[in-house]
Amino acid sequence: MTFDFVEPVVFALLSIGVIAGGAAVVLLNRITAAALLMAFTFLSMAGMFVLLGAETIAAFQVLIYVGAITVLILYGVMFTKFSDRPRALFFQRQTPIAAVFVAAVAIPVALFSFSFTGAPPRPGGGDLPALATSVFTDFAFPFEIASVLLLAAMVGAIVLTRRDDAEEAAMRRRR
Amino acid sequence: MISLVWLIPAFPLAAFLLGGLFGRRWLGHMTGLIATVAVGLSALLSIGVFLEVLGGKTQSVVPLYRWIAVGEFSVSVSALIDPLSSVMLLVVTVVSFLIFVYSNGYMAHDAGFYRFFTWLSLFVFAMLILVMADNYLLMFVGWEGVGLCSYLLIGFWFERPEPYYAAKKAFVMNRIGDWGYTIGIITIFLVFGSMNFVDVFKRLEESAPAQATLTLICIALFFGATGKSAQLPLYSWLPDAMEGPTPVSALIHAATMVTSGVYLVARSMPLFEAAGPSLQIVGVVGAITAIFAATIALVQFDIKRVMAYSTVSQLGYMFLALGVGAPVAAIFHLATHAFFKALLFLGSGSVIHGLGGEQDMRKMGGLRRKMPVTFWTMLAAGGALAALPPLAGFWSKDEIVAAAFVNGHLVLYAIGIITAVLTSFYVTRALWMTFYGEPRDQHLFDHAHESPTVMTLPLILLGVGTVVLGIAIGFPPEQGFIHRFLGPVVEAAGGAEHAPELATILLLAVASVGAGIVGIGIGVLMYVRHRPDPAAVARAAGPLYRLLVNKYYIDELYDHRIVEAARTIAGASWAFDIHIIDGLANRLGWALAMSGQGLRRLQTGVVGNYALTIMAGLLLMLVAYGGYAAGIFGR
Amino acid sequence: MTVPLGAYIAVSAVLFFTGCAGVLVRRNAVVILMCVELMLNAANLALVAFSRKYGSIDERGSVFVIFVFVIAAAEVAVGLGIILAAYRNRPVVDVDEIHQMKG
Repeated sequence: MTFDFVEPVVFALLSIGVIAGGAAVVLLNRITAAALLMAFTFLSMAGMFVLLGAETIAAFQVLIYVGAITVLILYGVMFTKFSDRPRALFFQRQTPIAAVFVAAVAIPVALFSFSFTGAPPRPGGGDLPALATSVFTDFAFPFEIASVLLLAAMVGAIVLTRRDDAEEAAMRRRR
Repeated sequence: MISLVWLIPAFPLAAFLLGGLFGRRWLGHMTGLIATVAVGLSALLSIGVFLEVLGGKTQSVVPLYRWIAVGEFSVSVSALIDPLSSVMLLVVTVVSFLIFVYSNGYMAHDAGFYRFFTWLSLFVFAMLILVMADNYLLMFVGWEGVGLCSYLLIGFWFERPEPYYAAKKAFVMNRIGDWGYTIGIITIFLVFGSMNFVDVFKRLEESAPAQATLTLICIALFFGATGKSAQLPLYSWLPDAMEGPTPVSALIHAATMVTSGVYLVARSMPLFEAAGPSLQIVGVVGAITAIFAATIALVQFDIKRVMAYSTVSQLGYMFLALGVGAPVAAIFHLATHAFFKALLFLGSGSVIHGLGGEQDMRKMGGLRRKMPVTFWTMLAAGGALAALPPLAGFWSKDEIVAAAFVNGHLVLYAIGIITAVLTSFYVTRALWMTFYGEPRDQHLFDHAHESPTVMTLPLILLGVGTVVLGIAIGFPPEQGFIHRFLGPVVEAAGGAEHAPELATILLLAVASVGAGIVGIGIGVLMYVRHRPDPAAVARAAGPLYRLLVNKYYIDELYDHRIVEAARTIAGASWAFDIHIIDGLANRLGWALAMSGQGLRRLQTGVVGNYALTIMAGLLLMLVAYGGYAAGIFGR
Repeated sequence: MTVPLGAYIAVSAVLFFTGCAGVLVRRNAVVILMCVELMLNAANLALVAFSRKYGSIDERGSVFVIFVFVIAAAEVAVGLGIILAAYRNRPVVDVDEIHQMKG
């Protein structure tokens, strides 16, 4: 008994997790459940990365997506109130047409994607050295720009959610 | 002097520019002086040119510049100086000068004084261009120019509606004639390849084109001449043109502009002679117009209207002369008529001026004691009009009717004689009603006064011309100075009419004079002795009288048929423009707006819809890409 | 027996279009944001899978993935900021109800 069947099985499990999580996000009514299942999708994705041999990327995936972004989404869910409604109103008015379009595009693409052949062998060693070297030498400039971008996003988010003085006064009065 | 010939129109042009630009604010009454001096200088130069032509330079072309040169079509601005044009130059400038002098007095109290002389100078300029041109197109420039100035000057007192309507009528009728003229000159170019007089006549000799074409050309040109020279059917603008100031009537509608039609035909004589029936038509139209207009003049009460119809009638005589093969006689009559008709008009103006603006002869009478100079000069002119020897009118008119007789056109001759009777009758009537008898309006009579010298001096000078001109240039008949001078130019080579015998000439002369005396006699009988009484005759003639007084209702006829038809067509065009052309533009705009409204519905405001649109676009792109890749769509 | 490359790409495609369908179909703005994250993840998977196609990992694919992480994070932050700011104005999270830009 060889362990060759390990990889496909793991792949199958992980892909089920990914796709099921995605479907849940789209179909579930309760937002909190949807958010947590989204986190589950991200974790499965990290597993996929490991399967592909990109451990560093997997680590970053867990850190950023599962750690930061999920929390952010949960904050968003917290601060907005979404009243319970009958199920039919979950979906936008344009749902039927949208479903048609998406299906029309998705099915051919999915079928087409199977035409990619080639099975990459799993290499030894990690990807970290090459990645690190590349980021800090070849792609140093975009890296710096990315940090500026993050700074801008941070500032933008703060500005967007700031309350100006009139609103502060109104809030204090309400208390 | 001939090389300086372009200065002749330059002076009036300068006067026009000065008057037009500076007349209102700065020059004021100086405008009249400047214009008069300018025309005077032109007159002197014309005399010089005339003498030089007399001295032997029978045909000179003085070019100014090359105007149009497009492929085969080449027209230059240059002057053709030969006996015909030098005579015209002389007549135009000398008579204009005298009228300009007169106008300084007549228009002295008018607020538009500077404007008057500006337009008048422009007119003289255009007329000189017309007369000096060496090709049909340049002549047309002058032709149109005089038409324009006629419009401007007839409508001079535009504060009242009648002058405005008269000016419009004159211009439109001129324009209708110009249509004929244009067809004529275009055909000339197509047939002869040039519009130059000399070239056309030379090529006519070398290769005679088809009779039908030549006839077409001549009829077209003559139609233009009827418009300008107020012959049937385009004559009715001339009596209405009397709304303009009297000097205008004298200059434009007696001596110069209306003679340009005669000049055109005289200049084109080689063409007319080669085109068989066209000369007949010219003669017949002229004769009919002559008698037609004379009948209307019999019963008019406005002194200027009488003179206007008289002008139409006398122009008819000139065309009659051209038609029967006596072009020299036509030009001769043109020259003498310019003098005595201008004198008649200026005299009428003097009377009107002296009476403070009254033109109705029924309110005049007995003025000969109050306005002697005017009276005596008008008497001379009237006699010339009635063709009494030895006044100028006799020599020229007698020659016309004699030529008609001698060349076998007996019917035209008869018409000419009858018209002569009518002419002398109505001129007697007009003069008697104005100057003789008891004053019919005592108030007007008391205030009447002779005109100032600046007005009477031209009257006297014109009077001298009236008396002397005929004998000076036209005696003896058929062999006078003017015949030898103009003959070679206008008469067809080899078409010399048989010179009549002396006896025939004398008999015809006696007949003409007799006709004149008969007319005068009837006039004297009716108005002095009241046998028969004019009022009784009018009542007896009843319907015929009314017909004449209302000018045969021609104006009403034109108005109802032609003007209404034009209005209908204009209305239809207007409707077409409003509904179809504008409608097209409006519908287009409306369609665009509607499509905008429709497309607006795409902007639902719901962002999800926009995302869906992106998806749809993606689908489209994939389909297209896939199709190309698979070779389904064409590559 | 190794997993063929096409499988990874198929998974990525399915996830991507699931997320796409979610964007077009769900009413809640926050849920739409979550679906956008799904799409980004699918793209990352495809990138990494392709970068492994020819033997060793091509580090350029991985660097691209890093940048996608950065952008996704920034986008979520700003997107939530917008949703919260709009929510303060009118307490609605339902995208079908926001149509003031109509016409």
